[in-house]
Amino acid sequence: MPKITIDGKTLEVAKGTSVLEAAQLLGVYIPRYCYHPKLSVSGNCRMCLVEVEKAPKLLTACSTEAADGMVVRTDSDKVKTARRDVLEFLLINHPLDCPICDQAGECGLQDYYMDYSRAKSRFAAEDKVRRQKRRVLGPHLVLDNERCILCTRCVRFCSEVTKTSELDVMERADHSYIDLKEGRSLDNNYTLNIADICPVGAWTSRDFRFKSRVWFLKKAPVACLGCATGCLAEAHHNENVIYRLLPRPNAETNTWLCDRGRMTYKAVQAGDRLAKGVIKNGLIDLEPALREAATRIDEAKAAVGVLGSPWLSVEDNAALALLAAGMKTANFCFDFKFETGIADGILVNKDPSPNAAGAARVKAVRGGLELQAFAAKVASGEIKTVLAEARAAGLIKDALKTSGARLITFATNKGDIPAGAYATLPYASYFETAGTFVNYQGFERRLEPVVAAPEGVKPFWAVVNKLGAYSGVLLRLDSADDAMRGLEKK
Amino acid sequence: MISVKKVNNRPLNFLERIYLPEIVRGIAVTARHFFTNLLRPGNILTVRYPEQTIPLPGAANQRTRHRLKLRADGSPKCVACFMCQTACPAYCIHIEAAEYAENSVEKYPAVFDIDLSRCVVCGMCVEACPEDAIAMDTKEIPGGALTRRDMLLTKEDLLRNLPGEPSLLGASNRLANEYLEGKK
Ligand code: SF4
Ligand code: SF4
Ligand code: SF4
Ligand code: SF4
Ligand code: FES
Repeated sequence: MPKITIDGKTLEVAKGTSVLEAAQLLGVYIPRYCYHPKLSVSGNCRMCLVEVEKAPKLLTACSTEAADGMVVRTDSDKVKTARRDVLEFLLINHPLDCPICDQAGECGLQDYYMDYSRAKSRFAAEDKVRRQKRRVLGPHLVLDNERCILCTRCVRFCSEVTKTSELDVMERADHSYIDLKEGRSLDNNYTLNIADICPVGAWTSRDFRFKSRVWFLKKAPVACLGCATGCLAEAHHNENVIYRLLPRPNAETNTWLCDRGRMTYKAVQAGDRLAKGVIKNGLIDLEPALREAATRIDEAKAAVGVLGSPWLSVEDNAALALLAAGMKTANFCFDFKFETGIADGILVNKDPSPNAAGAARVKAVRGGLELQAFAAKVASGEIKTVLAEARAAGLIKDALKTSGARLITFATNKGDIPAGAYATLPYASYFETAGTFVNYQGFERRLEPVVAAPEGVKPFWAVVNKLGAYSGVLLRLDSADDAMRGLEKK
Repeated sequence: MISVKKVNNRPLNFLERIYLPEIVRGIAVTARHFFTNLLRPGNILTVRYPEQTIPLPGAANQRTRHRLKLRADGSPKCVACFMCQTACPAYCIHIEAAEYAENSVEKYPAVFDIDLSRCVVCGMCVEACPEDAIAMDTKEIPGGALTRRDMLLTKEDLLRNLPGEPSLLGASNRLANEYLEGKK
């Protein structure tokens, strides 16, 4: 195994490791634009130049393999001058766009300029090369060719990760620019990752465009609930508004985040967000809605069916299990068997729900019916009133339709309410309340609230707690953790 | 650590303690001004602001009510970059950005409010602006108001401009003016 010395520190690395990666292991940061850990090495930006003993010229750290006995310097005057000069080249034709550029604040050019250059420009602003600006490409992205530094990360992403190869470098030498290949459109499900990996503001997000400056945003760790993959993500928010979701790269699950997953935060702030209960089609305050729902449950007595949901956290499923036990009904179901596995070879899972594995934990302790058996009981009229979260109710919608059973449902958004629901109770989304989810690999994701729920909207377990109280079942739940009692052996 | 300053006031002497001579002294000052105003109105110190103004002394001249500068076509030079809002120590600037459909400047402020009841007139916003879009040279001193709303400068208030403006300074502004010329 090659032994390499960088800035006086020695390390033994695996064969094939680049000097840049070896430096990273030693805690020495080498600036880079075109290098990306998950993309092939391109070596075009020259930002990572380092001095290697016995080499006549500076070498690019990203494309130089660490060799035995190599002695590397990243802090010599030669390297410092090289960095300043590379930046000067990159900035000659760079537009003075920072005030209107969404990348400002997290821009590779700004950061490295402050860290490694601070030189005054020797070129007149009038002589800058002009290119196409503000081109809307695809449903999620805007491209500004003037800001591009031609690192080709975007091109490599499309050919190596999504394997769709929509992008290419057109023309050559200083006429080069990034463009879509003829007749193509940029509409794969991973386009927003391009805005993330573009080290400058050439690719920016249409959704985030001009919404906020990045330095105002606070970051909170979350997980995407778009499917069973359960990618780790980061919610960027400020003053109780979420602005965007970004991936939180990790070895187990994801480096990227799909476009659909990134848009899941929008439901939280959508116009159809439920802040009140719904009886048939009319909005009504939460308390009367709860009373009405409780009356219908009392009416049905033993003919009540409780359906858990793979879209609810483990705690909230457990709360439903406790409610079913309190109502002494045997008609409950926490059994959701979806085919799992990565459907598109990148991230999107065959299982569209985020927590089938979590619901299975409740099933393992509480038992209950299989989903088909539950649906059959609903269809045959044995279950007359069904309590179910909105999207889970969709799983038995045919059965509900044939029997006309009364459906009492829980939803965050009006658009989720299944047709024919009798009563709907609002609950706080998982950006607003804590909850545990289990992804398809069995990794637990504990979610903490990022923003506050709309006024009067309570977490799911609290709604269940109240509904129980109104129908004479005292659950005594004061927190999500209390609901975990549902996972203790009976 | 909170810094503490001890003030050692001189103890009052006897004449001051019995108050009467001091009261007489105070009345004398009032009377002097009263008779000056009555007999020689030209020497009155008070001015009838805002109808009447006097030249401001020193640097006070440089920091008066804000305004947003305009481009040649009358659009605000401001590109909603949020630098002023970021720099403002009193958190009194509120901007909401929007996008021009056509103009090559792309970005403009749909909302630009300055809450004067919180502004400390420090001029940091002017310093921070990369577009030379905001200035505090109106020579108006924001005074008292009867409601809080009157202390709020909206974009419309701020666009009340000085005669002979549109300036050509600022990068995006240069682009915008070029663009406008190209259209002609
Ligand atoms: S890409 Fe970076 S340097 Fe260029 S305009 Fe945007 S923020 Fe400024
Ligand atoms: S658009 Fe961005 S990612 Fe693509 S080559 Fe240019 S700078 Fe690199
Ligand atoms: S003068 Fe100072 S306090 Fe007032 S708006 Fe400007 S930065 Fe804020
Ligand atoms: S700093 Fe200048 S350009 Fe930026 S938002 Fe403030 S006034 Fe507008
Ligand atoms: S990072 Fe090495 S050449 Fe770009």
